[in-house]
Amino acid sequence: MDNAIINRYKNRLEDYQPIVGKNIIDELKILGSHLTGRKVQNVNSTFSGGGVAEILARMVPLLKQLGVDASWDVIEGDEEFFNVTKKFHNALHGQEETFTKDDLNIFIETSRRNNENMALDADIFYIHDPQPIMLVERKKSSGGDWIWRCHVDVSHPDKEVWKFLRKYIVGYDATVFSAPEFSQQLPVKQYMISPSIDPLSDKNREMSQSEIQSVLNKYGLGNGKPMVVQISRFDYLKDPVGVIQAFRMVRKGIDCQLVLAGGTATDDPESTRVLEDVRECAGNDPDIKILPIPPGSDLEINALQRAATVVFQKSLKEGFGLTISEALWKGKPVVATAVGGIPQQVRNKVTGLLCHSVEGAAWALKQLLSNPEYAAWLGKNGREHVKQNFLITRHIKEYMLLFIAVNNPSDTINL
Amino acid sequence: MIEWFQQNWLLVVVPLAIFLAFCVIGLWARRVLYTNLNRSLTRSGWGGREVLIQTTRGPFFFWFILLGLYVAIAFSSIPEDTKTLIIKIIASIFIISIVWLLIILSERLLSIYLSEFENVKRPAKYIMIALRSTLIVVGLLILLDYWGWPLTPLILLIAIIMLVIILASRDAILNIFSGFEITASRLVKEGDFIKIGSGDAGYVTDIGWRNVVVRTPDQITIVIPNSKLVRETIVNYGHPLKKAAEPFHFYTRLHLKELTGLKATNLIALVNILKAAPDSIVYYHTHHFLEEYQYLNPEPANDFALWVGDALDNPILSEKLANIDTFEFTSLASLKNALISVMEQYMIENPGIRFTQAEREFHFVKVVNIIAPTNYYASDLREFVEVLRKVTLDSLYYHVFESRLRLQRRSSDFSVWIRDSFDESDLAEKIDNLVPYTTTLEGLRSEIIQLIEKRIK
Repeated sequence: MDNAIINRYKNRLEDYQPIVGKNIIDELKILGSHLTGRKVQNVNSTFSGGGVAEILARMVPLLKQLGVDASWDVIEGDEEFFNVTKKFHNALHGQEETFTKDDLNIFIETSRRNNENMALDADIFYIHDPQPIMLVERKKSSGGDWIWRCHVDVSHPDKEVWKFLRKYIVGYDATVFSAPEFSQQLPVKQYMISPSIDPLSDKNREMSQSEIQSVLNKYGLGNGKPMVVQISRFDYLKDPVGVIQAFRMVRKGIDCQLVLAGGTATDDPESTRVLEDVRECAGNDPDIKILPIPPGSDLEINALQRAATVVFQKSLKEGFGLTISEALWKGKPVVATAVGGIPQQVRNKVTGLLCHSVEGAAWALKQLLSNPEYAAWLGKNGREHVKQNFLITRHIKEYMLLFIAVNNPSDTINL
Repeated sequence: MIEWFQQNWLLVVVPLAIFLAFCVIGLWARRVLYTNLNRSLTRSGWGGREVLIQTTRGPFFFWFILLGLYVAIAFSSIPEDTKTLIIKIIASIFIISIVWLLIILSERLLSIYLSEFENVKRPAKYIMIALRSTLIVVGLLILLDYWGWPLTPLILLIAIIMLVIILASRDAILNIFSGFEITASRLVKEGDFIKIGSGDAGYVTDIGWRNVVVRTPDQITIVIPNSKLVRETIVNYGHPLKKAAEPFHFYTRLHLKELTGLKATNLIALVNILKAAPDSIVYYHTHHFLEEYQYLNPEPANDFALWVGDALDNPILSEKLANIDTFEFTSLASLKNALISVMEQYMIENPGIRFTQAEREFHFVKVVNIIAPTNYYASDLREFVEVLRKVTLDSLYYHVFESRLRLQRRSSDFSVWIRDSFDESDLAEKIDNLVPYTTTLEGLRSEIIQLIEKRIK
């Protein structure tokens, strides 16, 4: 594992105690005592950028504190390989993609090279997303339990791509998805584990008003108008253009400003094109700010979310959409599309408002901007909902339960 | 010699007479003084009467002898140099006897005072050593001063040594005196159940000269320095209540959601899949909202009712399904049959199939339970309440919800233990009568605690 990553996240388990309570931490320790010394090797495609890297960077050190011998490795690949895996990603989300024989060969050859080069030494191999999926070919020689963690919305995957990946998926002992809608007919066990946010991270920690203000000043956002914010990578699947359209419908009646902020990931070469399209759509509108922010701008994201009047997540497809939980944790009212894992976080009219179209998004936004008390009530419920279900402590608990349950056929396991 | 005596008999007889006179006065004064002292101390009922009288009676007469010697020597014809030396020796003996008496008297009185407190034997021993040392040092300084020795450097040295000792052992000293305060004020006693400011609670197992030891229900030993304890806000519940023959061991129930890949797009498919579904699927769809939306009151209805209402847009059937009272069923099989029965009856009365949109299918999820013992045990109702405040909602869930299905009767693990261990049928019944499906888990926890606290007050 990259030491720089480990050093960045120094939170101790006990630091979470004031937020979730001592009993939750004690429960984690009980589970940890049943996994002491077990080696768990996580493998994905990048150490930085995107939700998976962010989760692993925090989870691995905390698992270690609980006694689990957790490690994290990444596969290697060139631009061609990541172009193919990006197409995989889009196709799994249901987007139309064309694959040539060369595409599949690039994927297979790079994967085989990774299979040869990667040191595998663990009791449990936890493989994240399609990029390293072919590592399972080494299952026979390495032994151990193999789990494939799919962070992608595969509710309506491209059949050809799914068929190709399925050959490898069935080689695993278990799979993990983020929402019930993503489950497939598979001969291996499928568990559901939602991702989580870290309340102590720079992206979610408490901030003073002056800290928030300094970020707003930095981006020239101090005009006092209600602020609608969408934080996500510049990706067609996040529908930033749809957000601008909904915003313009609302602004006819309510004076407000829109901020579209997001970064790029090393395994996402498409984002530059999307950013150009968004800029073109926004034109010279002074109330629309497009902020391409570099990876690691966590405090800026935190400040933007905290300064927001309403947070948007108008994804067309979504693995889980952790930015929703981030906004809810800050007590913000949220408007989001009912896709992927979003309905788990936003229960319509209880923890936020769900929509299914640009018009629906505009209508929901109007509701919230014109009724601040209702918006505040949704925000309060949202924070409680995240506290119960989407904090990192719950995530660690479920990871450890998974490691305990992975090769146990029973529906009830007594420890 | 006889000749010398005949010439100087007055020089011998006068001092001797003075000495004998002091002896007689001493005997008389001791008799008068101690008779009155004894009478008045007896009237006051002071416990140290006997020690005071017995310890000082001998020295009192001894001091008259010394006084007699002193005056006799003063009136004698002994050369001045010798006379001064003898007087100095007499005065020194007097100082030593005073110091000796103060040591003996203070030790004996302290012993009487401390004998009331069993737990301070060790600190008392240290205090006596300190007192004895102090008196000896003071007596020595007075003697040296009396004999004309320079004292300033010595006093300085002693002061420095004392300062170092006090600084090095200030915490210990503070703890020792706090120990006296705890014992004297009977703030806590061994066997008391106390709760300290940090929220930890348990039985006091030892009160030492520096620490109080508390054993918590999760088998953790907390050592609290006496000085900290006297500054803390503590709640002392007093001595233990009736102990159960078998302590209650708290477990926790954690779960993983397992996706089945099964999904329904209409009511017929929903019923057909449900018919073949194992209990773990029924359990998930009728209970998971209790944990996931535990902050909401009233909580959402079961998943079947929600889906029929939202996805199939059928509010009537949704209401019928929501109205099925999960609390009435002690087995998942009977709950499943009730759900199926309502849906089938509705389909008979309302033929025709309504499909949902492609993205709004009902996805069947099942639960994998992982049951783990916690470190918490309760052997009486006081401990039970304190543990109940601390356990996770998962633990509460296991002992209240799952127990009903596990035991297949309308009882929680809590009420079974309370009834069997303490013969508290009324309390057990009240706990059983709480409807856990109409309140939040935190609300349920609070209600159970209130019921038990009311009983043990």
